[in-house]
Amino acid sequence: MLQLLVGQTLNGVIVGTLYGIIALGVTLTFGITGIVNFALGEFMMIGAYVTWYLFDVAGLPYPVAIFPATAIAAGCGFVADQLLFRFTRNNLINGLLVSIGLISIIEAAALLLWTTTPKDMGYVLSGAVRLGGVSVPKMKLVVFALLAAVMFLTYAALSRTWIGRAAYAYSQNPEAAMLMGVRTEVLQSGVVVYSTALAGFGGALYASLYSLEPAMGGLYILKGIEAAILGGIGSLIGALAGGIILGVTEAVGSIYLPGAFRDAYGLIFVVAILLYQPSGLFGAER
Amino acid sequence: MRRLIWSVIVALTASPVAAQNTVKIGQIEAQTGANAIYGYMSSQGLALAVDQVNKAGGFKVGEKTYTVELIASDTRGDPKEASIQLKRLLETDQAKFVFGPFLSNVFVTIDPYAKQFNGKFLLMGGATRIHDFLGTPEHDFLIRTWNWDAGPKGFGNLMVDRLVKETGAKKVAMLFQNDQGGKVLVDIYTPLFKEKGIETQLELFEPGTKDFSAVLAKLAAGKPDLLFPSYSDAHLYDIVRQATEGNYFRKFFLVRGSLGPGLKNKDEIDDYFVYVPKYFEQAEKTDQKVAKFIADYKAFYKRDFPYDQAPLCSSSCYDHLFMLIEAMKKAGSVDDVARIRKELLAMTYDGLWKIRFDEKGEEIFNFDVVRMKRGGQISVTSVDTQ
Repeated sequence: MLQLLVGQTLNGVIVGTLYGIIALGVTLTFGITGIVNFALGEFMMIGAYVTWYLFDVAGLPYPVAIFPATAIAAGCGFVADQLLFRFTRNNLINGLLVSIGLISIIEAAALLLWTTTPKDMGYVLSGAVRLGGVSVPKMKLVVFALLAAVMFLTYAALSRTWIGRAAYAYSQNPEAAMLMGVRTEVLQSGVVVYSTALAGFGGALYASLYSLEPAMGGLYILKGIEAAILGGIGSLIGALAGGIILGVTEAVGSIYLPGAFRDAYGLIFVVAILLYQPSGLFGAER
Repeated sequence: MRRLIWSVIVALTASPVAAQNTVKIGQIEAQTGANAIYGYMSSQGLALAVDQVNKAGGFKVGEKTYTVELIASDTRGDPKEASIQLKRLLETDQAKFVFGPFLSNVFVTIDPYAKQFNGKFLLMGGATRIHDFLGTPEHDFLIRTWNWDAGPKGFGNLMVDRLVKETGAKKVAMLFQNDQGGKVLVDIYTPLFKEKGIETQLELFEPGTKDFSAVLAKLAAGKPDLLFPSYSDAHLYDIVRQATEGNYFRKFFLVRGSLGPGLKNKDEIDDYFVYVPKYFEQAEKTDQKVAKFIADYKAFYKRDFPYDQAPLCSSSCYDHLFMLIEAMKKAGSVDDVARIRKELLAMTYDGLWKIRFDEKGEEIFNFDVVRMKRGGQISVTSVDTQ
């Protein structure tokens, strides 16, 4: 039983980082543009499918395929920002409606291109590592390491670079930041593009672990939002922590309770935490 | 000018006669989607059969020659979409013959509507749940176009027997989708295993699940001899991969799904025991009808033959159109569905499969059991249920 618990805790941590990368995108976007981008799951799907195409169909090596996949997701994010999101800055309802509409458009495009039949990418790195009595797939460890590294680098960039300080300044007081010379339009577009790049990168790594379907983004955006709320909207470390806590709750919950209701366990945990800490585990009290 | 007017009059008066010489066949299957394994090949095979019939000049019933008009809709496995398509087929297109569905969740959704048309059309589908409705009041329209799992000649029963004899399995872990298809498999196989003295463990998962590590670990903790998973390749690829990577299971028993997930992980699997309606890779070399079908498929669709999906052409597919036409000829009618159904149930058809129906309208056909061992070594056993 202990082995089962340890194994699933590890698995939950790894799966949680996938939730966390989306949560990071959600929290960045909300903090700077004032909207929740529900379409981030679709940019994850774009990254996943492009990676599959470049690796399986075009025959590119996987480490090479990730970069154009992330870039294409970011490019789509830029287009979406310029055509849609820039007209909804700080308007939560409009931003919500626009992002939900964007989900339908992107999913319909994916259906046309690739149909709803799942795509199963060839294995990038097969086999598992034995840690004590627990087998952990090698590719999952790689995915965890890469996602965690990207999230920490994002945190480091935001806390130690000028642009990071500008972003924090803007999120605290937009007018003051503007007066101090921060180019707010560029900052907002940059954050939207970066968050879609993060989602695309997450999708590229997702493709190495699981089969792909056009509707895959729907589940991950919900998990990302749950994780962002759990960790505290606006907190970058909270996004990662929220994702991991959600992943572990689902994995460990499935050991003791029916696996068919796995999605519910994380949600119940989120509700329970918010009852005691409404701003989330790492969020600032308002 | 007078000639033109007469031509128009002749054309207008001829149209109704031409329309009567077409038999409409509807199809409601998942051509794409997570469960497309149950529908893709049926749609491919039926379209090929329709093309062949029409290119041969149609078929004759009585004094008239008829062509076939196929109205095939992609339901994507969505019960709501299937309901809309069936309504259009029956009310707008006035189709008297509908092929599909292969999915149980689709069938239970369309059944309340379909039975309003009892006696006015025939629904020929492979869905497992259809079995429970055959022979019941208001369900004369139903014919099930797939082998039944249970019963003395049920393929599931035969496979469980073989499993016990060849592997000595004492405990089986079942991992199914939490939907109609998954639940009907639980209802069928739990008693079958119990009868043979095999203990079972069961876990259900939500459709759309991708990470199965937790449930696989939980099942593996019970130390079963093998895993009996899902029914859809969309999940099977993830389940088999994660089961072998996590070292949870290396032996698998399947009554739905293809050999594909096993082949992809062949170096990690000790035993992959799967029901395959026909192992086409072997049948192509030994059966001329199968070889011709494969060649015709490639010529018609101008692409490679989908060997892994082809076994599912055993349901509401290529053979079934020719059976239906033969039944119409024997009945002497293209729209007396009661007589046509009677002729269908009375015939034995020898096509890609040797097919007949039992007295309730459930298909019985010969099938293969494929066993794959580590490294991809395959052995095939053909079972003649006739």
